[in-house]
Amino acid sequence: MTIDKGISPIEFRLDPSSGVPTYLQLVQQVEHALRLGYLKPGDQLPKVRDVVASLTINPNTVLKAYKELETKGLTAGRPGQGTFIQAALTQVALPELGGLRRSMLDWLASADAAGLDESGVGALFTSVLRDFYKDHGRAADGGAAAGGETEGVA
Amino acid sequence: MNVIETTGLGKRYGKEWALRDCTLTIPEGRLAALVGPNGSGKSTLMNMAVGLSVPTEGSAAVLGVKPVGSRAALDGIAFVAQDSPVYRNLSVGDMLHLTRNLNRRFDDAAARARIADLGLPLKKKAGKLSGGQQSQLALTLALARRPRLLILDEPLASLDPLARQDFMTTVMTAMTDDGVSVLLSSHALAELERVADYLVVLSRGKLAVAGETDDLLASHRVLTGPAEAADSYAQRLSVIQDKRAGAQAHLLVAASGPADRVEPGWEAHPVGLEELVLAYLRAPGGAPAAAPSPALVSHIQPTEAAR
Amino acid sequence: MSVLTMPAQPGHDTDAVLRPLPWRRMAWVTWRLHRGTLISVLAVLGAAAVFLVIAGLKIHHNYATLIACKPFSSAACQNLNSDFNNTDWTAGNTVAILMNLTPALLGAFVGAPLLARELETGSYRYAWTQGFGRVRPAVARLVLVAATITVLAWAFSQVFDWFFQPFLPQEEMTVLTATVFDTHGIAFAAWTLAGVSIGAFAGMLVRRIIPAMAITLGVYLVLALAAWDLRKYYPVAVVSSSQNINIGPSNRNSSWILGGWFTGPGGKPLSQATADKLVALTYGRYHKAFPHGYTEWTRYIPVSKFWPMQLIEAGWLLLLSAALIAATVWLVRRRAA
Repeated sequence: MTIDKGISPIEFRLDPSSGVPTYLQLVQQVEHALRLGYLKPGDQLPKVRDVVASLTINPNTVLKAYKELETKGLTAGRPGQGTFIQAALTQVALPELGGLRRSMLDWLASADAAGLDESGVGALFTSVLRDFYKDHGRAADGGAAAGGETEGVA
Repeated sequence: MNVIETTGLGKRYGKEWALRDCTLTIPEGRLAALVGPNGSGKSTLMNMAVGLSVPTEGSAAVLGVKPVGSRAALDGIAFVAQDSPVYRNLSVGDMLHLTRNLNRRFDDAAARARIADLGLPLKKKAGKLSGGQQSQLALTLALARRPRLLILDEPLASLDPLARQDFMTTVMTAMTDDGVSVLLSSHALAELERVADYLVVLSRGKLAVAGETDDLLASHRVLTGPAEAADSYAQRLSVIQDKRAGAQAHLLVAASGPADRVEPGWEAHPVGLEELVLAYLRAPGGAPAAAPSPALVSHIQPTEAAR
Repeated sequence: MSVLTMPAQPGHDTDAVLRPLPWRRMAWVTWRLHRGTLISVLAVLGAAAVFLVIAGLKIHHNYATLIACKPFSSAACQNLNSDFNNTDWTAGNTVAILMNLTPALLGAFVGAPLLARELETGSYRYAWTQGFGRVRPAVARLVLVAATITVLAWAFSQVFDWFFQPFLPQEEMTVLTATVFDTHGIAFAAWTLAGVSIGAFAGMLVRRIIPAMAITLGVYLVLALAAWDLRKYYPVAVVSSSQNINIGPSNRNSSWILGGWFTGPGGKPLSQATADKLVALTYGRYHKAFPHGYTEWTRYIPVSKFWPMQLIEAGWLLLLSAALIAATVWLVRRRAA
C-alpha cells in the first residue's frame, strides 16, 4: 500500500478504454471529486509534474485540462504555487433534486411501457443528452478547444 | 518557433527513395510521434534531422537553424538512436565523463543523481547493462545536455512494459521540467495516444498525414450508414478508409469542420488514434482526394492519382 | 530529477569559459577511447624491446669475440664466423624482416580501426551527434594517436638500431641498404606515421575494419617498394671520376653505387661496345692508369649522406601523412550515414 502524502487531496487515474480523451477525463475527475466532496474550495490540484510522472502522460494534456477547469471558473492558478479550487459546482437544492428524480421515474415508466429495455433507454438518453449539451453547453463554455467532444449525432 | 521544418525533403539511396516530398512543420513544446511501418522513412527523416545524413533534395531546418548538422543545431539537439548506442566497453561513469567532454553544456550533477536513482553502478560496463538500463543511460546522457529538442529513434522497441513506462515517464517529466520538445518514432500506436500531442504518419517514404493530435482526432470521424448510399455520399467527402458489409458501410472521413452536417440516416462516431493511423497507413498510395481545411489539420498529402 | 528550469537557449549560456579547456577534453576523449590500443602497442613493443636487449647483448658479445679472433683464417676463427652467420644472423635477419613489416602492421591494426570502428559498431550515431560535432574529436583522436604511436615507434627503432649494428659490417650492408634504411634513424618512425595515416584513411573510406586492414597492408607494401626506387633520385648523389683503374669509389661497403660510365678523349661518353672493350682490356690491372683521355665515372651516394636522406624521406612521408589525415577528416565531415 502506497500513500502519497502529496499536496493534493485527490489523485488522478486514467481509463484508457473509455474512449474519452485524456484531458477530458482529468476535467471530469475534478468535477466528480468536487461533487462528492473530495475537493473543496481552497484545495490544491496535483502539480502538473506529479500528474505527468504518475500517469506518464503529456504535460500539455494536463495543462489543457487545468486550463479548461479555469475557463469553467472552477479553478484559479496562483503563479509559483499551483492550481487551486476556487468554486464549488453549482449545487442543486435538495427539494429540486427530489422533483427531478420523480419526473425521471415517470418518464422511465412510459419508456418501459413503450417497450424500451434498459440499454435502449440508455442509448436514447445518451443521444438526447449529447444533443442538448451540444446546443446549450458548448455555447455557454465558449472558447473550448476543437478536440474532445467530437461526437456528432444523426 | 518550429523545432523541425522541412520543405520537400527527400533522400535517395541508390535508386530507391527512402523519403520523398516531405514537408513538415513541427512546433515546439510538443511530443511529436513519428509513426509508420518499417521502411517508411522514419529513421531516414531522423538521421537527416540530426545531421547524420544529407538530403538528396529539399531542405530541413531544426531549431530554426540551417544547415542541420551545424554547431548550433548539434548543441540544441540530443539524439538517442535505435538500441541506444553507447560504447560497450566504457563504464557508466566513463560514459558520463565522455559525454561531458563532448558537449558544451552538461548537467553533471543531475545526471549523476539520476544514475543513482536508477541504481546503475558507475563502474559497470555499459555493455553489461540490461536493455532497459542502457536505454535509461542513453536518455540520461541526452537529457543532461539540456537540449531543446530530444530525438528518439524507436526507443521502446526492445523494452519490457515496465522499462517502457519508466522511460516515457522520464521523457514526460523532462518535458515538464525543462520544456524539451520531443520527436520520437514508434510502432506502439496504442501507447502513443497518452503521450503524443503531434502526429506524423509516414507510409512508404511519403508523408501520409501530420498535425496536432487533438486536431486530427477532431477533424476525422467514422460515418456509419447504409451501404447503397455510401458511394454517392463518399463522392462529397474525403474518405480515408471505406469498410463495407452487405448492408452497412463505415466511412472514415476527414471533415472540414466539426459542425459538418451529417446526412440523415448516417451516424458519426469519433475516431481513436490507432484507428486513424492504421487507416492512413492502409490507404493505397496515401491519403484522400480532397484535403480538409488547413486550419484544423496541418498537412495531408493528396495522392498521386487524385492530383 | 531537477527543479523547474528555463529551457536552455543554445548559444546564450555558452559564452562562459568552458571548464576544462577544449584541448584537455579532447585529450581525455582520445585517451579513453584508444587506451586499449595504445597500451597494447606499448606492451608489444616494450616486450620486443626487452627481447632485443637481451638477444642484442649476446650478439654484440659474439661479434666482439669474432673480430678479436686472430688469425682470421684459422679454423677456430672460421668456425666462430660461420656460427655467427648461421645462428646470430638468422635471428638478426628474422628480426629485421619483422621490423620492416612493423609499420605496415601498426598501420593496419592501429590506423584502420581508429575511426572505422565507430562506423562498424554504430557508435557513430552517438559520437557524431554530440555538441562539439564530429570533426574536432576526430582530428584530436587521429593526431594524438598517430603522434603517440610514432614516438613509440621511434624509441623502439633506436633499440633495434643498436641490436642490428654488428650485422652491418658482417653481412656487408650499409645503412643505405634498402631494408636497413627503413628501420634506422627516423625513417622507421616516419614510415609508422605513414602506415597509421594510410590505415585511418582506408578505414574511413571503406568503413569496415577488415577490408581496411587489407588495403592498408597492400598500399603500404606498394609505397615501401616504390620508395626503394625513389631514393635513387634524392638530390644527394655524388659523381666522381677516376683516371685510375679501381673497383669503385672508396670501399664498396660504404656507398650505394647508382651507376657508372666511361668517357673517352674530349669527354665523349663511350658506347656500350667500346666501354666493354675497355673493361676487358684493363681487367685486373688495378690502380694503373686508363689509356690517356679515358675516364671512369661513378654516380653514388656515400654513407655520409645517410642523415640528409633520412630527412628527405621523413619529410615527404610527413607531408603524405598530413595529407592523408586531412583527407580522413574531410571524409568524416562529409560522410553521411
